[in-house]
Amino acid sequence: MKRVAKPVFFIVALLILFLTYTATFGIKGQNGDNTTTYIKGVSDIRWGIDINGGVEATFSPETNTKATKEQIDSAKSIIEVRMTSQHITDYELYTDYNNDRIIVRFPWKSEEKTFDPENAIKELSATALLTFREGGEYTTADTGSNGKPVYKTPKGITKDSIILQGKDIKSAKAEMFQDPTSGKTEYQVGLELNDSGTQKFADATERLQDKVISIWMDDVMISSPTVNQVIEDGKCSIQGNFTASEASDLANKITAGALPFKLTTTSFNTINPTLGSSSLRAMAIAGCIAFGLVCIFMLIVFRLPGFVAIIALLGQIGLSFAAVSGYFPFINSFTMTLPGIAGIILSIGMGVDANIITASRIKEELYLGKTIDGAIQKGDDNSFWAIFDGNITVIIVALILMGIFGPTNILSMIFGPSTTGSIYSFGYTLLIGIIGNFVFGVTATRLMTKSISRFKFARKKWLYGGAAE
Amino acid sequence: MRKYNIKFFEHRKIFFGLSLAILAIGIVFNIIFGTQLDIKFTGGAVIKYSYQGSISQQEVEEIVQNTAKKDAEVCILENAAADKNEENYVSISFSGTDSITIDEQQKIAKELTAKYPNADFQVNESNSVNPTMGRNFFAKCMTAVLLASLLLILYIAIRFKKIGGMSAGVMAVIALIHDVLMVYFTFVIFRMPLNDNFIAVVLTILGYSLNDTIIIYDRIRENRRLMSPKTPLSQLVDTSINQTFSRSINTSICTFTAIATVFVVGQIFGLTSVTSFALPMMIGVMTGCYSSICIAGPLYVMWQNHKASKRLENA
Repeated sequence: MKRVAKPVFFIVALLILFLTYTATFGIKGQNGDNTTTYIKGVSDIRWGIDINGGVEATFSPETNTKATKEQIDSAKSIIEVRMTSQHITDYELYTDYNNDRIIVRFPWKSEEKTFDPENAIKELSATALLTFREGGEYTTADTGSNGKPVYKTPKGITKDSIILQGKDIKSAKAEMFQDPTSGKTEYQVGLELNDSGTQKFADATERLQDKVISIWMDDVMISSPTVNQVIEDGKCSIQGNFTASEASDLANKITAGALPFKLTTTSFNTINPTLGSSSLRAMAIAGCIAFGLVCIFMLIVFRLPGFVAIIALLGQIGLSFAAVSGYFPFINSFTMTLPGIAGIILSIGMGVDANIITASRIKEELYLGKTIDGAIQKGDDNSFWAIFDGNITVIIVALILMGIFGPTNILSMIFGPSTTGSIYSFGYTLLIGIIGNFVFGVTATRLMTKSISRFKFARKKWLYGGAAE
Repeated sequence: MRKYNIKFFEHRKIFFGLSLAILAIGIVFNIIFGTQLDIKFTGGAVIKYSYQGSISQQEVEEIVQNTAKKDAEVCILENAAADKNEENYVSISFSGTDSITIDEQQKIAKELTAKYPNADFQVNESNSVNPTMGRNFFAKCMTAVLLASLLLILYIAIRFKKIGGMSAGVMAVIALIHDVLMVYFTFVIFRMPLNDNFIAVVLTILGYSLNDTIIIYDRIRENRRLMSPKTPLSQLVDTSINQTFSRSINTSICTFTAIATVFVVGQIFGLTSVTSFALPMMIGVMTGCYSSICIAGPLYVMWQNHKASKRLENA
């Protein structure tokens, strides 16, 4: 048998412990009052709304006819403005043009004291109020969840002088134009006013030459262009070094105010954060107990290979944590739900399968009279394909679960997009559990078993399940 | 080393009888209780409040009926420990498959607070699903199960070419159907409405049970080379099952222990969303192991013997 050096056991075991420790607790530096997170641990995991509490709601425009794509897009942009201005970062927002649906899901903010999901839903779906106001004075300025500044609540002259309202606007479109001086292609928003707005805007632009006319949605300033000429025919453009998406975004928001339709809430689901946090504690307890019981079982039944299996299992759990917390820079952090945690615990149980198959084979070979080294080698050789077979079907299933309950899924084309179901993270943790089973239950376990078997104390067949000598 | 020598083939009638009996009980329950679908699939509305002190079920029912103009089933869960600080729960399930509006929900809360000013009603969880969306989600889940089944059957067809041919594949599928039925009847007998948890459990058990079956058939193929060609098939299969028996049992014990812990802790904390997932999963892990050992193997022998005797007759 190919010899594995004695220190390999310690190297592998230490690497596993390092991974598990850092994946659980993260690596954080304390610099004065600031904690910098270098590596994310369990406390950095993003929890789903079934744990954090939160809201999921489906809105449909209240129109008699089918809504246009434009209408849905503008309704979406209203919700986005409201989300950003309320500092909700973790929201998911999907539009389904075929079925006239806008689906939104957001967790409850941890700093929020009162939980009033009903009002939150109502605020999101309220009819958008678009205004063009004189000047650009605001009461509060802070940073929205997208990192851009959010100016809220008009004051002074801006509060009192409303130039145009949503109904005065005919259309707003993102347009492309060639800058006459630089020759570069730029983006702007082309605005067309109704008859009701043309005269008002002509008067205002004459009065406010070189001054600001700000555009507000509800309580939030969405743009503050400066007037550089009198607009008499009700057609003008807003320029401001926009990118293509910024221009269409602003156009959508203005359109939303111009086509005011009510959003009705067709479905909703709210979960109180206190309910969720007690479930999280329960699952943590369950995980620890399950791990302990499986460890005891493995030690009693398999002795030394059982001990190795426990180290491997620790590594597998560490990998599961790492895969959801954003430990590795190349894997995004993952929204964990209760079924997701159940998936981790389930894979604690399933995860020892590889170790059980190998250890059982080693035991069999020992009873057939092989030496320890021979039995380990034979056991390893004989068990690989059984382990592979045993796992491939669960991989198929895990992929399907992720495929159907994920945000964009293989069935989206037929059934339209939906928010991430809580089962999605179950599929994910199940899949990670199986990958972990291969990495730790097969590769790491083999290295550790072969290396530890070279120590003198480990030369007894009894330790591998053989008869006592 | 402990060697198992259980005569699975000889005792097959006990195993088949046991399975059929459980399935029969399941069918009876299903006829009596019917199949409940969660509002996630049908549409409908449920609100759960936490409150303090005591309230009357009848009065709550009246308030809800008067405010929402809909019939509703009110279910009160008072905390056994009559500690004043402990919270009690009341859940209101509206009949029918229509969703309720936010305004209705707010009105109900207002009326309840007006009636019981000291109860401090808090919405713990509320769920209102539009029936069209529910049906849509149901159709999507069913398509997913179908898709997974197709993929698994395709995998079985490819995989079993090497290890026993069509008939073994068919037996593996029968064992899978057996497991899915068991999981389904768990939901029916415990009167848990079918929801997305059901889909997750069914798919997981499909994968898990198939593992076991494949490992057993793999051993049968290996032993066919090792044992003399004159060995009767029943003995070949029994030996193979017995050799893989300790692995099957050990893995199942570990998996069962893990998920049972989740169930017990979930039960203590009263987390229905967790227990309604863990309980059927526990049953599934058990039946997945059982069906591979006691159903798929013996059935395969019966089928092969039947084919052999047919061949003899024809000769």
